[in-house]
Amino acid sequence: MEKITRSVVKKDHAPKISGHSVYVADYPAEGVLCGKLLHANIARAKVLRVETPELPEGYFYVDAKDVPGDNNVNIVLDDTPVYCRGTVEYIGEPIAMLCGPDEAVVTRLRDACKVEYEELEPALDLRKATETFFDYRFGHGDVDKAFSEADRVYDEEFETGYQEQAYLETQGMMAEPEENGRMFVHGSSQCVYYIHGAVMRALGCGPDGVRVLQDVTGGGFGGKEDFPSILGCQVAVAARKCGKAVRCVLDRREDMEYTSKRHPSLCRYKVAVRDGKVTAMDIDVTLNAGAYSTLSAVVLQRGIIAAPGVYNVPNLRVHGRALKTNTAPCGAFRGFGAPQTFFAVEMMMDHIARDLGVEPLSFKEAHLVRQGDFTSTCGRYHFPVPLPAMIDKIDKACDYRKKRAEYAKPQTGRYRRGIGMSLCFHGAGFTGSGERDLIKAVAKLRKYRDGTVEILASNGDIGQGVRTTFPKIVAHELNLPLDKVYYQHPDTARVPDSGPTVASRSLMVVGELLRRAAIRLREQWADGEEQEVEERFKEPDFIIPFHIDKFEGDAYPTYAWAVNAIELEIDTYTGVAKALGAYGAFDVGTPVDYNVVMGQMEGGFLQGIGYASMEQMNYDDKGRIRNNSFSDYLIPTAKDVPNLYCTLHVEKYPDGPYGAKGAGELPLVGAPGAYLSAVEQALDGVALHHVPFTAEDTLSVMTKEAV
Amino acid sequence: MVNGYAAASLREALEIRASRDVVPYAGGTDLMIENRKGVRYLFLNKVPELKAVAVDDRYVRIGAAVTFTEALACPDVPRLMKEALSRIAAPAIRNAGTFGGNLGNGSAKADTALIEVAADGKVCLASAEGGRVVDVDKFYLGRKKLDLADNELITEILLPKKGLEQYSYEKVGGREALAISRVSFAGVFAAENGKITNIAAAFGAVADTILRYKDIEAMLLGKTVQEAKGLKADYLNAYAQRMTLTRGRVSAEYRKRVCMNLLNGFLTKFGI
Repeated sequence: MEKITRSVVKKDHAPKISGHSVYVADYPAEGVLCGKLLHANIARAKVLRVETPELPEGYFYVDAKDVPGDNNVNIVLDDTPVYCRGTVEYIGEPIAMLCGPDEAVVTRLRDACKVEYEELEPALDLRKATETFFDYRFGHGDVDKAFSEADRVYDEEFETGYQEQAYLETQGMMAEPEENGRMFVHGSSQCVYYIHGAVMRALGCGPDGVRVLQDVTGGGFGGKEDFPSILGCQVAVAARKCGKAVRCVLDRREDMEYTSKRHPSLCRYKVAVRDGKVTAMDIDVTLNAGAYSTLSAVVLQRGIIAAPGVYNVPNLRVHGRALKTNTAPCGAFRGFGAPQTFFAVEMMMDHIARDLGVEPLSFKEAHLVRQGDFTSTCGRYHFPVPLPAMIDKIDKACDYRKKRAEYAKPQTGRYRRGIGMSLCFHGAGFTGSGERDLIKAVAKLRKYRDGTVEILASNGDIGQGVRTTFPKIVAHELNLPLDKVYYQHPDTARVPDSGPTVASRSLMVVGELLRRAAIRLREQWADGEEQEVEERFKEPDFIIPFHIDKFEGDAYPTYAWAVNAIELEIDTYTGVAKALGAYGAFDVGTPVDYNVVMGQMEGGFLQGIGYASMEQMNYDDKGRIRNNSFSDYLIPTAKDVPNLYCTLHVEKYPDGPYGAKGAGELPLVGAPGAYLSAVEQALDGVALHHVPFTAEDTLSVMTKEAV
Repeated sequence: MVNGYAAASLREALEIRASRDVVPYAGGTDLMIENRKGVRYLFLNKVPELKAVAVDDRYVRIGAAVTFTEALACPDVPRLMKEALSRIAAPAIRNAGTFGGNLGNGSAKADTALIEVAADGKVCLASAEGGRVVDVDKFYLGRKKLDLADNELITEILLPKKGLEQYSYEKVGGREALAISRVSFAGVFAAENGKITNIAAAFGAVADTILRYKDIEAMLLGKTVQEAKGLKADYLNAYAQRMTLTRGRVSAEYRKRVCMNLLNGFLTKFGI
């Protein structure tokens, strides 16, 4: 194990484990007003009027009229309102915020508000939705010719549901007007500079008029990429009106029901096969974006770029759309569009293989991409593709091929077994040329006279450990003990914009900037002096420039890879699937901290298994999500997959620190494909098409089969 | 702050119960989550008379404030009950949760209540005026409705000492731990001299109350296993006809199918 990989005690371990960490809800309430959002309770309606109760002194009603700047939150587009702009577009849309010193009184006032609506017809069915937020097409080769020459054609549709991020700490932001006129916004978040930009626009002020700090954050998983910009604008507007600090912390039901989740999807795959090989794929991807576009553009881009999976598809046509429905806007969640398409392509490849009478793994192996091959967007896989070695590793770990053959034989009795495998990648960092053109990350090191070094960057620790791994990199290059290098939660008043905490980019991109900065600091180190070095992102030379208009070029500089196998035993009396084992081989390059990376792999893999099995969330015919609590929306516990085996394969990326690549999202991506493939085998080879796949689904399939 | 009374003896507890508007609080694992405002609790978890497990000539007597963890460690508690206990929630909740609380909450999803119904268990109730013993089956009057007067407390659960050796227990939750039952089943079987003497079948979490149909069970009582086999189809059909289930976190159809599968499995297990 390389020195950098050796685990250390996380820098935030002691304050978190002892309860000393201060989360946004923990700041003393003295002098701070409590904000409670008045949410729409109709999916689509004109708001004719809001009858507010008489407000006691010191209590405020804040709505769109109070927004000093632009009542639109800057995310990718600017269509999300700070406060409702006359029509509400989903149940939960914030109409106003009630603020005041006493939470119980604020709640009572909020609940006493009467909203008069003129109801409009909502769009709720994704299959019938007509309003398109984003529509992309790309491909290569001659798809029509390949289909006309095919000896077999397959056409199937796959569906995935919502997934809630289920971070332990709910969304919460606080805004405090400072004496100098600046608005200080802080809270639970991933991207301080996103919030900074959004609040500037809402308040109509310049960059110096807003300061944003990330508070200690109890988990994000993508859910705190865009939403804190919205809530940040709402509290900032409220604080400006009230002239006092305003804090709004969502309760669990509000958070689960009204904030962003993983996009539900429909993926239709038409595949041409000739002489036992896939010759073309014609893929149609539809995402349910919800009522506003938020991050759907970029989620869709990542999803469709991954649509042909880890396979060489000589002729490819991809069409992706993000459609509007009158439901809570969907946003970022670990995997970012890729879990949906990887699920579909893995199931599709399984189904084709089985129809051809070939073992799915062999069929997949015959189509695997290799180093130097074209990507779906005619970029290149510039580096070795380690999937074959990783497949071997998993085969050895769980005796995959043997079990797969054994479980394929007819089974009798109450319990039936199945095992399935999926292969996937996760493109490391932003999609396309975002790093070069949009983010332009800057990171700094500041050395103080006493020889301690502070890292100045904007990436927030959300449990993934950047407060530890960043200092490890810098301390390593400077030959300093780890306690001499530190990294605080980012504060836009103090740190440059090194980009958001998203896309599995922080360690790979910003970590490398810090490594280079540390080398420069080492070279010019002068004892007893205060020194500062700055490093800016430069796109590696090997990159084939990406053109988003044509979806052409390198969408990612490199890829993290995963091979997952899941073994299940299904109870035919109850439909309950028990995980006998889940086995994952993950290549995230060099782990900069073994425990941190293994924590990510195990947690992400389990989260993916939850997505595939029990995490079920729907809205009803009114557009309302009813299972908005942890007793109704279940996520797995350690007992659901006690035999969870994760192993690392290291294929170094030369432009990441010590060879590190993106890690955070990868482990979730492949789980649904492996899970459902195992279910299919246990159910006598039936072909299945959706996740989550629950015990109830299993029993209804068995009943149909029996008829 | 919680306003409440911590009773040191059963007598004191009954006096408070009679004279004040209080919510009995044993383990609090449901009440803590409810976090009702303006409520006063009567804390029973330190009342010594409610903390004992005793055995008399007919029954194992489990105090209402005995926790699930304590019962799991007690050699007198029947194995069937322990099977259910070991699958309740998670260790932290089993450390706090009690028999009295599980029953007093009035839910058809209560995992110990299911066992008590299947085992012909009884519940002892006490008030300042005296006590009475009720069949657990009859203690449930309807959804969240119990045969419990305002001045009464649950003091003990009685389970038969003998006759619970042969059983089936099944719990379907949404996950392996920390899961509320979506369907649960307990069946008790006994035969003497080749004749079936008990074939109790109880279903939890599928309707407003725990379901048990003694008249359908009677079809197989006094029959040999061979004879019961011949009656099996009619017996299963009778259940299928009778059971009207509610939907919850899963559909009524799913629940019905699972109940029938588990009932069938129970019969099969004992050769029927």
